[in-house]
Amino acid sequence: MLGFVLRRTGAGLLLVLVISFVTFLLLSLPDNDVARSLLGPDAPAEIIDATNAALGVDRPVLVQYADWLSHAVRGDLGQSWFTSENVGTAIAGRLPVTLSLMLGVTLLTAIVAFGLGIWAGVRRGAADRFVQILAVAGYALPGFLVTLVIVLVFAVRLGWFPAIGYIPITDSVGGWLSTITLPIVALSIGAVAGTSQQVRSAVIEVLRQDYVRTLRSRGLSTRSILFKHVLRNASAPALTVLGMQFVGLLGGAVLVEQIFGLPGLGSMAVTYTTRGDIPVIMGLLMVTVVGVVLINLAVDVAIGVLNPKARRA
Amino acid sequence: MKRTLRTATGVLALGALLALSACTADADSAGEKLKTLTIGTMTPARSMDPVDSGGGTIPYYQAVYDTLIKREPDGKLTPMLASEWNYDTAGTSLTLTIRDGVTFDDGTPVDAKAVKANLDRFRAAGAAENAQALSTKAVEVTGPKTVVITLNGPDPALLDSLSDAYGFIANPAKFGQDKPFATVPDGTGPYRLVADATMAGTVWKFERKEKYWGEQPPFASVTFYAFDNENAIVNGLKTNQIRAAVLQSVDQQIAATSGEQFTTSTQEIDLKLLNIFDRKGAKVPALGDARVRQAINYAIDRDVLVGQIQQGRGTATSQIWGTGTEGYASELDTYYSHDPAKAKALLAEAGYPDGFALTLPRLAALVPDSLAEALKSDLAAVGITLTWDDLDRVSFLTRTFREFQYPGVVMNGGQPAKDWATVSANILPKTIANPFGDTDATIQDLTGKIRTAEPAQAAQYAQQLNRHIVEQAWYVPLYRMQYLHVTVPTITAVPQAGLAVPALYNYQPAA
Repeated sequence: MLGFVLRRTGAGLLLVLVISFVTFLLLSLPDNDVARSLLGPDAPAEIIDATNAALGVDRPVLVQYADWLSHAVRGDLGQSWFTSENVGTAIAGRLPVTLSLMLGVTLLTAIVAFGLGIWAGVRRGAADRFVQILAVAGYALPGFLVTLVIVLVFAVRLGWFPAIGYIPITDSVGGWLSTITLPIVALSIGAVAGTSQQVRSAVIEVLRQDYVRTLRSRGLSTRSILFKHVLRNASAPALTVLGMQFVGLLGGAVLVEQIFGLPGLGSMAVTYTTRGDIPVIMGLLMVTVVGVVLINLAVDVAIGVLNPKARRA
Repeated sequence: MKRTLRTATGVLALGALLALSACTADADSAGEKLKTLTIGTMTPARSMDPVDSGGGTIPYYQAVYDTLIKREPDGKLTPMLASEWNYDTAGTSLTLTIRDGVTFDDGTPVDAKAVKANLDRFRAAGAAENAQALSTKAVEVTGPKTVVITLNGPDPALLDSLSDAYGFIANPAKFGQDKPFATVPDGTGPYRLVADATMAGTVWKFERKEKYWGEQPPFASVTFYAFDNENAIVNGLKTNQIRAAVLQSVDQQIAATSGEQFTTSTQEIDLKLLNIFDRKGAKVPALGDARVRQAINYAIDRDVLVGQIQQGRGTATSQIWGTGTEGYASELDTYYSHDPAKAKALLAEAGYPDGFALTLPRLAALVPDSLAEALKSDLAAVGITLTWDDLDRVSFLTRTFREFQYPGVVMNGGQPAKDWATVSANILPKTIANPFGDTDATIQDLTGKIRTAEPAQAAQYAQQLNRHIVEQAWYVPLYRMQYLHVTVPTITAVPQAGLAVPALYNYQPAA
C-alpha cells in the first residue's frame, strides 16, 4: 500500500510540474501586455513599459518561470498584479467558500445518489424507472438554467434564502447554511444524476453475482447482504465517479459562484484570468492541481481499503 | 412509515433552523439596515492606493480619502481639503490654501507639504489617471498651508482633476513603504476600512469614523460588492442585500424594474462609438478621406440601433460632446441621419464606388452580437465589407491600444461634463482617442482659444470645434447609452455630472 501511495505521489508531483510549466508558457504568450490590461487604454506607453519592467514581465519567459517556481516551492506564490494582495492569502481567503461548496455538494450527492441508486437497483420496476427519469432530467437540464431558476424561486420570490453573498461558518453557522444551501442544491442536481446511475448499475451488477445468490440461499437477510456485501463491492465504481465529480465541481463552481456572487475560487479564476494576472492564475492552478492529485489519491486509497484486490492493480 | 416520519422530521427541523437563522438575522439588522449602504458594482477597485483610483472606482476611495476639491452632483466645485484656490491671470499657476484642523489617523496634520508629496507621487507613480496630472510642471510649497501648482499651459480641467483621482490625499508618512495603501488605506475620509470583512477585488467594507473633520456621513457603514455580472446585482437588489447600483445592461434594467418598487433615475453618460484612429489612411487608405468617414456615418441606421438593440434606452447621436457641456449642440445629434444613397455617392466621389474592406477588433462585452451584426449589415449595404476580429480582453487591449493593429475600434467613450475634458480626452494629439496625433489648423486654433478664453467665449469656440469634428467625421458616434440608477426606497442617489457612478456623497437615506 505504501509503495502504491508513493508511486501515485511521485506521478502527481510530475503532473504538477508539467502543468505549471505548460500553463506558464501559454499565459506568457507575446500578446499578454499585462500593464496595459492593468492600467487601461489611457495609460501612456512609457508608464506601461515601466510597469511591465516593475512586474518583471519584460524578462525571457523561462527566466520568469524559474523565478516563479523557485518562490512557489518555498510557499511564496507572489503578489497579485491587479490587487497587490499576497496570492497565498487571497486564495486562502476564498478557499473556504469553494471548499464549503464542494464538500457540501459531495456529501449531498453521496447521500441522495447512493440512496436513489440502491433503491432503484434493489427494487427495480417502477422505482428504477422513476430514478432513471430523474437522472435523465438532471443530466438534460442546463446547469445555469437550473441555478437561475433556483435563485429566482427560492431567494427572490419566496425569500427563503439570500440571493447573493457568503457568510463564513466562523461568523454564524445559521448564516453559513443559509448562504450555501441554494448553491449546493444547484450544483448537486447534475452530480446526483450521474452518481445515482453509477450506483444503480453497480448494485444491479453485484446482485447478479453468484455469491449473492449463495448468501441468499443461506438465509441472510436482504439488508445484511446489501450493506455487508453488495455495497462494499458496488461502492468502488461509485466512489470513482464521486471523486471525479468532486474535481469536475470546480467547473460548475465557477458558474454557481458567479450567479450567487460568492467570493470563491471559481469566480476568482474567471476575474483574474481575463485580466491576465499570472501570479493569481498560477496560484489557483497549483491549488487545483494539487487538490485533484490528492483527491484521486484519496479515492484510490479508499477503494483499496474497501476492496483489497484493487491494491494489486 | 417510521423512517418516512423520521426523514420528514429531519427536513422540517433543518427548514426551521434556516428560517430561524434568517429571522434572527433580519431582526438583528432591521434597524441597522437603514444605516447601511451596500453598493453593487461591476467595477472592482484594484487597491486602496489613490494612484490606482479612477472612473467607476472613485466612490471606494471617497470613503477613506478626501480630495482637495469637492465636486457636487451638478459638477459645481466646492472646498474640501483646500479651502480656497486662485489662478494667476495667465491661468498657468494655481494657488491652493489647505484647510486648518484636518489630520490623518496618526494625528499628523494635513499641510502644504503633505499635499505636495501626494501630487508629486501621483505624477511619478504612473497612476491610472496619469493624464489628469500631465499639465502640471511643478508643485511648490510656499507656506505651511499654501501650495502652488505651476502648469505647462492653461488647463481648464485641472480643478476637476483635483476633485478626482489627482486630488486624493493620503498620509505621506507611508510613502516609503512597498505598496503602502494597497489594503491599508490611510487618509482623512469619513470611513475606515474593515479589513476582516474585506476581500480585495470582491468586497470592500467601510465603517464610519467616530470623528470626522467634516459633516458626519449618514450611513454607519458602506460596503461595495464587485460582481462580474449584473444578474447577481439585480438578484441582490431584489432581496435587499444590495441597496444601490447602476445598471448598464438593458436586459437587467428591465429585470430590475419589472414589478419591483425601486427608486430609479436614468442618466445618459457613456457613448457607444466607432473611433476611427486611421484618419490619415495609413492602414486603410480610404479612411484618410473625410468623405469616406462621412459615408460610414451616413451608412449607419442609429435609430434601429437605439430602438432594437437598446430597446429605446438611449439617444442616437452624431457628436461626441455630452449634453452637459457648453460645446454640445442638439442639432448635431441628428447631423448624420441614415442615408445609404448619400453614403454610396460619397464613396464614389472619394474613388471607392465598390466600397472597401475594413477589419475591426471586437470585444464581445463592448460589441454584442446584435450590434456587431447591425453594423456589418449597414456597412455592407453601401459596399463596405466589415470583418470582426474576435479577441479576449488582454489581446484586445494590446492589439488595439498598444500595437494599434487596427484602423479603429468600436468602444464606449465617457462624456465628461466639461468642454476641456472632452477636448483633452478626444481631440488633442496622442490621447487614447487620437493616438496617431491627427490635427489641422482649425483644431489647433480652436483648442488654443478654448484653453485660454473666458468661459462665455470658450463655450462658443467649443461649439465650433464640436461642429468641425462632426463635419470632418473624426468619429462615428452611435448613441448615448442610458444607465439606470437603482436604489431601494429607503435610499436616494443623485447621479453625478460627468461620471457614470454617483459620488459616495450623493447617497442619502430617503426622507
